Amino acid sequence: MGFVLLMIGGILDNPPDILLFLGRFHPVVVHLPIGFLIMAILIQMASRWPKYKPLAIYTPLAWFMGAVSAVVAVIFGYFLSLSGDYDEDTLFYHQWAGIAVMFLSFGCYFINKKWNNSLSVPKWILVFLIGFLLMYTGHLGGNLTHGSTYLWQYAPNPVRNMAGLPSKMEPRKKVAVLDSADVFLDLVLPMMQSKCVSCHNEGKKKGGLMLTSYEMMMLGGESDNTIVPGDALKSELVRRITLPMEHDDFMPSEGKLPLTDQEVVLIKWWIKMGAPSSGFVTQLDTEKSLSSLVSNYLGLDKNNLFNNKIPPPDRAVVDSLISRGFVINPLMKDNYFLDANYSLSEYTLKASDIDVLLGLKEHLVWLNLGNSKVKDAYLEKIGLLHNLVKLDLKGNEITDAGLKSLSQLENLESLNLYGTKVSKGILELVPQLTKLKKIYLWQTEVKKETIIQLEKENPGLTIIYERE
Amino acid sequence: MGHHHNTKPRVISRREMLGLSAGGFGSLAFMGLFGTLPFGCKRASHLETASNLYLGPHYLPKAKNVIFLYMDGGVSQVDSFDPKPRLTRENGEDPRKKFKVDATQFDNVGKILKSPWDFKQYGECGMPVSDLFPHIATCVDDIALIRSMVSNFPEHTNANYFLHTGSGLQGRPSMGAWMNYGLGSENKNIPGYVVLDGGLVPPGGLDNFKNGFLPASYQASVFKSGPEPVANINPREGIKNLQEEKLQFIKQLDSSLIGKIGEADAVESAISNYELAYKMQSSIPELTEFKEETEATKKLYGMDSDDPNLRGYASQCILARRLIERGVRFVELTCPNVGPGVDRWDQHSNLKKGHEKNAHAVDQPIAGLLKDLKSRGLLEETLVVWTGEFGRTPFAQGSDGRDHNPSAFSMWMAGAGVKGGTIFGKTDEYGYRVIENEVTVHDLHATIMHLLGLDHKQLTFRFGGRDMRLTDVHGNLVKDILA
Repeated sequence: MGFVLLMIGGILDNPPDILLFLGRFHPVVVHLPIGFLIMAILIQMASRWPKYKPLAIYTPLAWFMGAVSAVVAVIFGYFLSLSGDYDEDTLFYHQWAGIAVMFLSFGCYFINKKWNNSLSVPKWILVFLIGFLLMYTGHLGGNLTHGSTYLWQYAPNPVRNMAGLPSKMEPRKKVAVLDSADVFLDLVLPMMQSKCVSCHNEGKKKGGLMLTSYEMMMLGGESDNTIVPGDALKSELVRRITLPMEHDDFMPSEGKLPLTDQEVVLIKWWIKMGAPSSGFVTQLDTEKSLSSLVSNYLGLDKNNLFNNKIPPPDRAVVDSLISRGFVINPLMKDNYFLDANYSLSEYTLKASDIDVLLGLKEHLVWLNLGNSKVKDAYLEKIGLLHNLVKLDLKGNEITDAGLKSLSQLENLESLNLYGTKVSKGILELVPQLTKLKKIYLWQTEVKKETIIQLEKENPGLTIIYERE
Repeated sequence: MGHHHNTKPRVISRREMLGLSAGGFGSLAFMGLFGTLPFGCKRASHLETASNLYLGPHYLPKAKNVIFLYMDGGVSQVDSFDPKPRLTRENGEDPRKKFKVDATQFDNVGKILKSPWDFKQYGECGMPVSDLFPHIATCVDDIALIRSMVSNFPEHTNANYFLHTGSGLQGRPSMGAWMNYGLGSENKNIPGYVVLDGGLVPPGGLDNFKNGFLPASYQASVFKSGPEPVANINPREGIKNLQEEKLQFIKQLDSSLIGKIGEADAVESAISNYELAYKMQSSIPELTEFKEETEATKKLYGMDSDDPNLRGYASQCILARRLIERGVRFVELTCPNVGPGVDRWDQHSNLKKGHEKNAHAVDQPIAGLLKDLKSRGLLEETLVVWTGEFGRTPFAQGSDGRDHNPSAFSMWMAGAGVKGGTIFGKTDEYGYRVIENEVTVHDLHATIMHLLGLDHKQLTFRFGGRDMRLTDVHGNLVKDILA
């Protein structure tokens, strides 16, 4: 029966959708004969023992169910093969081994049914042959679906070598700093591996396209414009991943996880830059337009303070600070970072106020103590507010002695010391504040030569020390 | 008291301290979070609706305050920030032979009119600025210029409402009101939205500065220039207690009314307004007497000028800085009255004289403001916005004026979160229409809100059955000018 269908099917160059649709059921249906046949083999063997002897009468039935379901699986398998997306060699062996299993199962059924006691030797040969073919066919089927390397991907190296595969490649080290990120190896290739290669591999070249290596990607598939270096919009790959999801051509197809917006931006950019096979992101991205996106994509901005989720602040501490004259403001809706401002207060700042402030150590990122009679001694505690990004100390009588205490503020980006008594001490402080971008030193005791030295030693730092 | 005493930053004076302590009530807590309530607002009931459980920025803000320098009447873009050499080459030719001329307000289309001013490049960025603004030109590296602004209205009143409220019709809340609604005000003794009246109230009147459907507390307080910026700020009663007793009596009457009619925003706001007015009697004089301002500072803004208009605007700019220092959220400066014969920036005739007088009055004070803010570290948390309501035509109205042009105008922003030294957008070769990166007033509003940490789509107020926004259903961020 299978043959007849095969013959008819052979003429079908343009298979109707309904056949392809049924073909997609092959992976489901195929597990029925697998189950029945394994059961048949087990019953066959078990019934040799006296204890299980009564099972013997079910042997023909098990073989029969295995054989019939194999027919269905073979037909559906043939339908699936009509899509032509599979590696031809593997498909050939898979198909004929499957058909062999089907016929041999019928054979076993008849042997068990008719000549149960006479053909003992050929029967056992047949049983073990079916067992072997079943595994072989199943393995090839797996290769067709997942690619021939799928099974061995995580195998220990000796096993891989036995299978004729090279030892596992050292997994590429996770990028630790943005400067070491490679545009292909760290961005494009991992994206392909996680989202695309399950259908575009050696075994299952959908659309004739393999996305397993740079060479294969550039070789393209059925369309010769898969990747057009320098022109993302002309590249078929970009068109496919940016179509509306319900479009027939949208990739990844079949409801597999689509590429994220970030990934699309990165792929487009990679192609726009000429789709190089390697190259450091930071060198290619001369305008630094992508650095924050790439950092985020590679998870490098975890040490960006604002990406940390912090717990809600202690209500009592906030209320206490408000009653002491602070204005406390939230700074974002979905996190609890806070801004504290004392510069508008009617009271005089006391050392105990600063102690209370420490209760919001994790939350305070902006602190304005401008014109608040801050003393050098207070800075010791203020220096413990390690999440501060902005610190405004203008108009306070603080000196170099107090500045020393601020050296641990590793997140500080802006420091306002306008109108304070600081002088040379900033030379020592500033290099310790690695994230500092702006420092205000107008009307301090910092001399011009100190400013020049500071500028020289800290390129990139904006120093505002005069009113033009 | 060293010899450099006069350059010290301000410290809180006794009077100021008294003024601030009159506030006293810290900030009200509500809905598990905390934030500062708007000036004059005792209840947050209007915030306690499901959509508004939160008061404060939606995401980390770049700016805390806005100084809005309103160039009333419409500055000519081709004479200020958008040089067009072609106008010089084709000066005196008929514009209708060159391009399609839209209907103008006065239908008196003259010849193509070259700019009477030369442009020079300034700063590291090389931004061209006309000779009208030699002082602002020294600040271009802190300025993000947008040359592709458009307005929906070719006429002052509507265009003013549009620029201020996002709607061309009267009655919507002004952006200063929206900012205070979204963020509250940090100072309890000074309104969170202050308009410094330089002498000219823009066409459309006070409705440009109103709260609209937002609670009354959010409307602007208009400070006049001169010795008494707020009417009756000095008590009229000879005996101090007399005033207090009067206020107490009024409060009693009002409270009993509330007892009868239930919660009434207007009455409650009136009560708190009286209380605030009382507090302001000490906070405002301290604010407006520039006692701690040094001579150097006053000079920087141009307080020593011979031009009374410049002196006036300079003092408004200093006052604006002082307001920002005190946590006032939104300060708008209107233009000085440089007349006679000059109606704001609205030079339908006599462009040269009119623009020169106006520019002279505002140029040095604005540059002084930018530099002063920067040196004190305030520019980092303050957004300075400079704009008119629309631009002017590249061809003459009559022989020496320019008519209204809503199809293109230039504006700039400086300070917190904007990329200094950028030029965004492009007009055609005549500066008549935008040809690249058009920016609408809604886009501008969305961008200003963004810099304050507000998502213009999230900040809504339910009115008339709809969640209203400053940007209505419009507005896209102008990302290219963000730092």
